[in-house]
Amino acid sequence: MTAPASTTGSSDLRAPLYVAWQITNECNLACLHCIEESGPGKAFPDELNEGEIFDVLAQLMDEEVPYLSFSGGEPMLHPRFFEMVEYVCERGAQLKIETNGHYLSTENCQRLAELGVKALQVSLDGASRETFNRMRVRGDFDTAVAGIRRLHEAGVPIEINYSPTRFNVQEIGAAVDLAYSLGAYSFYTGRTMYTGNAVKTWRLLAPTDAQYEEYFATLHAKTEEYRGRMRVYFHEMGLLEELRYRLKNPAALLIVLPNGLVKLLNALPFVCGDFRRDSLSDIWQRFRLGWQDERVRHFVADLEADPNKTSALHKWVTL
Amino acid sequence: MRLAKYTKFREEKFGGVLFETRSEKVYSLNPTAAAVVREITPGVNEREVIERVKARFAEDSSIVERDVLAYLADLRQKGLLED
Repeated sequence: MTAPASTTGSSDLRAPLYVAWQITNECNLACLHCIEESGPGKAFPDELNEGEIFDVLAQLMDEEVPYLSFSGGEPMLHPRFFEMVEYVCERGAQLKIETNGHYLSTENCQRLAELGVKALQVSLDGASRETFNRMRVRGDFDTAVAGIRRLHEAGVPIEINYSPTRFNVQEIGAAVDLAYSLGAYSFYTGRTMYTGNAVKTWRLLAPTDAQYEEYFATLHAKTEEYRGRMRVYFHEMGLLEELRYRLKNPAALLIVLPNGLVKLLNALPFVCGDFRRDSLSDIWQRFRLGWQDERVRHFVADLEADPNKTSALHKWVTL
Repeated sequence: MRLAKYTKFREEKFGGVLFETRSEKVYSLNPTAAAVVREITPGVNEREVIERVKARFAEDSSIVERDVLAYLADLRQKGLLED
């Protein structure tokens, strides 16, 4: 009898392993780099209603999707947020919430702990009030940090996410230290994408090559410093390299938009289904075929000559 | 014995998958490995897993026992199993 374990892709699976759901585009903040162009009053006019949401969740649970994330916008602003969390956790799937950390009251943190979420991922794009507040328009560093402390007190596992810009890259070492001191078990970062709000603010945001070089050197050092205590995880690859890799190795991941449309990947404009019209099994079938579609291959190939193509990711292309 | 807190198992036509959601690592299992993992339910011990797997396979029971123990050790080493 043999029992090998190895990594696997999406081709032979009967359903996705991970569904990343942007449950609303509404947000209390208007961040300079937001890839979703979220903000106050930015909810899509056609976001899924309560019945549609729980129909999608039931399909995901019935097909034993083991891992979901709720993001936005700010997911905690969704009027059915806690009911959705409760449903997923009670059905036994693992759930990560990606939040800006501005609604982490003591009561909310305790409730999230009781419901048994896998983790709260909080965006903390700076180790100081000055840089964080510059990046996260309408946001407040002290509020986010206080919220993270309350998460830790409640016993909720914490992940920190950090988006680099030319004015916060120098704080990356301090940010990793801060994350650890706040009780995070994981720290994520990569390269900021040229899409969404970042298209308009790129001149202010884009780190130089030299800044990125120093940024990743610091991250390599911090990875070693915190080994065994906190996982420091970063994508050093640029977008083009990552897309080339994904073409060959699609992850078993669906990206669900607030209106029920399903994308192949956040960094691609292609839509492979619509939960208002299609079942999960139909969408999963189209997802797998979608990665072999010529239009997807051409988009990635063209990106090499024209990196600005990512600026139009919100002009969806139905496969 | 049980699967680790952040490990999820799903049966597939080819066998099954184990998904460790903290590291987001996915392990593909052949039918035999999936048959072992299927028997790992909360509170079960190694002997019970071995006996259940033996009942499924008409193989030499000493080979089944050796392989199940080795596989359980491998799962523990990967952090996918806790006692």
